[in-house]
Amino acid sequence: MPLIGALPQPITSAPLVIVIYAVVLLMLASALASVVLRNTLYAIGAFAATMVLVALLYLTIAPFLLFAAQLLVFTTVSAALLVGLLRQTAGLESTQEPFSREWIVGAAVAAALLALLIVVIATTSWPIRATTNAATGFGATLTNTYVVGLAVVVVILASAALGSGLLLAAPTLPSGRERDRARGSRR
Amino acid sequence: MNAGLNLILAASAALFAVGAFAVIARRSAVLMLIGTQFMFIAGCVAFVAFARFGLGAGNATSGAAVAIFAGATAVAELAVGLAMAALIYREHRSLAIDADRG
Repeated sequence: MPLIGALPQPITSAPLVIVIYAVVLLMLASALASVVLRNTLYAIGAFAATMVLVALLYLTIAPFLLFAAQLLVFTTVSAALLVGLLRQTAGLESTQEPFSREWIVGAAVAAALLALLIVVIATTSWPIRATTNAATGFGATLTNTYVVGLAVVVVILASAALGSGLLLAAPTLPSGRERDRARGSRR
Repeated sequence: MNAGLNLILAASAALFAVGAFAVIARRSAVLMLIGTQFMFIAGCVAFVAFARFGLGAGNATSGAAVAIFAGATAVAELAVGLAMAALIYREHRSLAIDADRG
């Protein structure tokens, strides 16, 4: 079987192509909304929607296990962490004015990055090769080929969860301003 | 009309640009962390697209495996970043990363 030169078989089934285009457009719209919205709670909602739409995109082009992990683990944990932080704080409304200098600089840099990436994607003639069915053997790949990496990821995730929990549960130390205020009242 | 590597890579590039915009333009720690998440996810989507449409290794599941690892790393980074944001909030009563500038 020739490895180089075989067609990569883009998806041509009309309903599936329409679904993929719709998911991609909605994903980009919700991602943009989440970084532009002033209310942080709404921004987190849009972020969670983006993660769900990424999971749907995975469902169309990747093994089902990746869809499930993206939907059940990554989306849930990320949204829970963000909402947990909001419960600890009261910073719902952003004080930053839209279309400030930072916004213009950020938009310019993002547009330049996007243009560069699009030019690279459009002008590159990607080498192609035939692939096997991605849905089979994914679990075996993770647990056989990448068993050490999987174990490291489990340790990293557990450490991050434990560490962030300990940090959030730690007693609040008096801040610098509170210390100054206490000193001032003592005098 | 079809959906192939170029479409998914363009979507990935756009998601990466949105994340870069959030990191550069927003001052809220939460929104900056959301931006880094988008940049991570953009990389994952590109890996999955290369694996699905043929640029991956001989084992087509490798792209998805890398996406799993990158996603887990992104969540861990988010957990640590949010814990730091909570500590910044306790100190300055603000989630703005430049809250200590006068």
